[in-house]
Amino acid sequence: MAGQGLERREVLRILAIAAAASGYPGFQRWSFACDHESGGPVQVKGRTYTPGFFSAAEYATVERLAELIIPSDSSPGAREAGVSEFIDFMVGSDPAVQYRFRYGLTWLDAHAGRLFGASFAKLQPAQQTDLLNHLAYRSQHRAGEEEGQAFFKLMREHTLMGFYTTRIGLEQLGYPGLTSFYAELPGCPHPADPEHLHLPAPKG
Amino acid sequence: MPGKTYDVIVIGTGAGGGMAIKTLCEAGLTICALNSGRRLEPSKDFRNHRQPYDMTYRGFGDPRKRDRFYHIENEYSDGVWEHGITYTTAPGTSWEWPRCHAVGGKTNFWGRSAARMGDIDFKTATLDGGYDVDWPVSYDEIAPFYSRVERLIGVASTVQKRPSNPDGEYLPPMKLRCLDHILERGCSKVGIPYLPDRLAQLTVPHEGHPPCHYCGNCTEGCDTGSFFSTPWMLLPLAEKTGKLELRTNAVVKAILADESGHATGVAYVDRETKQEIEVRGRAVVLAASCVESARILLNSKSRRWPNGLANSSGQAGRNLCDHLYGTTGYGYLPQLLGQPSFPDNVSASQIVWMPRWQNLKSPREEKFIRGYSIYPTGGCGEFPWYHDQIEGFGAELKRDIKRYYRTPVSFYCQIPSLPSPTNYVEIDPEVKDIYGIPVARVHFQWGPNELLMWEHAKQATTDAIKASGGEVWGVGKEPYTPGWSLHETGTLRMGNDPKQFVTNAFGQTHDVSNLFVCDASVFLGCTDKTTTLSILAFALRSSEHLVQRLRNGAL
Repeated sequence: MAGQGLERREVLRILAIAAAASGYPGFQRWSFACDHESGGPVQVKGRTYTPGFFSAAEYATVERLAELIIPSDSSPGAREAGVSEFIDFMVGSDPAVQYRFRYGLTWLDAHAGRLFGASFAKLQPAQQTDLLNHLAYRSQHRAGEEEGQAFFKLMREHTLMGFYTTRIGLEQLGYPGLTSFYAELPGCPHPADPEHLHLPAPKG
Repeated sequence: MPGKTYDVIVIGTGAGGGMAIKTLCEAGLTICALNSGRRLEPSKDFRNHRQPYDMTYRGFGDPRKRDRFYHIENEYSDGVWEHGITYTTAPGTSWEWPRCHAVGGKTNFWGRSAARMGDIDFKTATLDGGYDVDWPVSYDEIAPFYSRVERLIGVASTVQKRPSNPDGEYLPPMKLRCLDHILERGCSKVGIPYLPDRLAQLTVPHEGHPPCHYCGNCTEGCDTGSFFSTPWMLLPLAEKTGKLELRTNAVVKAILADESGHATGVAYVDRETKQEIEVRGRAVVLAASCVESARILLNSKSRRWPNGLANSSGQAGRNLCDHLYGTTGYGYLPQLLGQPSFPDNVSASQIVWMPRWQNLKSPREEKFIRGYSIYPTGGCGEFPWYHDQIEGFGAELKRDIKRYYRTPVSFYCQIPSLPSPTNYVEIDPEVKDIYGIPVARVHFQWGPNELLMWEHAKQATTDAIKASGGEVWGVGKEPYTPGWSLHETGTLRMGNDPKQFVTNAFGQTHDVSNLFVCDASVFLGCTDKTTTLSILAFALRSSEHLVQRLRNGAL
């Protein structure tokens, strides 16, 4: 439906908003992940993102963590949505969490070294998952890893903030506000079942 | 240099000022309206149709401004709330005072709940055995004004025949969502009413205004003018008369009065030039909002009025009341797990209410006097805030966040504080704002009656969620900071005794006959209802009284 011209104009408009509003380098994937009119996310190839706040090594860990938290499986994940770019931007804008991120990333590498003899980013995926399991699930918490648990919570929060505010993330939820303008409010489609005890089983 | 003398100077353009301006202009009077901020530009200032990814900080706002923002303020509304003019609080008082000084004031962004008050509110002192005093107006006297306001602005609801809530004249209600049907069933099992709210929001075209398009972002301003606000619905009618001169960025310093006790005009500071300007009028309407109106009177000192203009009673600033707001509880409805998404977030998810059900059979059936209401919200929102209820990471987390998207529900209470001698506004003896005007100092604490209601509301919410087949995630730890509701009342209360009250039943000050107050400062206190509809009804009645008095030459 949307012609090429419109798509292009839309993409340019969004790029302009991001660029003008932020005055911040990068954002290529994030901006394109925000494309309004096309059916799905537009993947961008090209120059690599240069982090504005994190060091290259820190950024690689952030990127990997975001990917583990919201993976790309049958649907796009943190990587396609440019979540690590958002985190770099947001942490760079937020003095209140900068130390906590730096400290947490340092803790994570030291911890990975103690357990597996390498920094987090260099571990095997199964080792990374194992390490995070103990930080993420209360039933698997271990004494002495409280700082790591707190950092994981912070990192997870920023990942979800970054993911569910992109078009990719909102489409996965089916956020109605992306498209909805109604002439009349649609009411509950199950008027015969006010307690909603007999709804059809969810799909997927 | 005294220029033109206007018939009436109106201070403020919110609900009360807007209604006064419209009524007075349509009566053929010349009006100078003073507003302390700028006009908003809907295309620039209303960002309600932007998606999170259109915003620099994805709608979370610049973290460096986090401590400065009011709770109601976010990246979508950045730049429209007042931060230039400060206020202070007494030791022990926490008070958050969000003010919108733009033309139209808080009506640009308000919650739209528009219930009538009734005799259960106006005669509350008699009913509950003598705490404080009754209002000087009965429901029969104000009811016709409510009707006229409802016809003018359009309020969507149903006839509910509740003892605590007089019914009005309504547009068709918003349709209930799945979560409403489930909660309604549950609430009925525990004796709590669950009904369509009274929403000053158009469900059909009305008086030339288009109906709501259900985008769900009302509190960021409406670009189609489909809910009541002064700039969309009242000022155009006033401007059509050719009688209105609206001066923006006019920060009022004082109301001027002569030795004989008549108001003669208003002195204000122009925000841009910082110059002080005087404007003359035959009468003055004060509608700057509760705390600000009290501040203006208390700052209007002269030899004749050493304690502030029209304040021979010493009551100006006293009896500040507010709604205690707080999240009483939240949880989810497992019936809706995994169901496809639905536009639950229409009207900022606020289309129903649980109107006061306490102390109705007898005024003393609970441990507290009077009563409160609850507003439920829930369903598919813009951001899955419930994520912190789901632990873990990876594909499972991603799947669960989607599975729970339809299910969360959250409730917040609207609890009236009782008038109290220890809750009041005064002028800070030392601090001045950037225009050299002494600022307001607020004294405020929640009292025991409010806190008993808060405990009651948490229990009621928990019961309602459970009775609906839901699971409780949590209950409110503590109420929000006072001031949060933006429903301040009191400070210039109305009553028949000039020794106890600042104004009479028409908002006319007892001391200065050509000075009227047309905002919630004249109310005796908060009720379980919101204030805007009542501000409009009382301002209409007071404005018509003023017109009559001017015509009779009684002023």
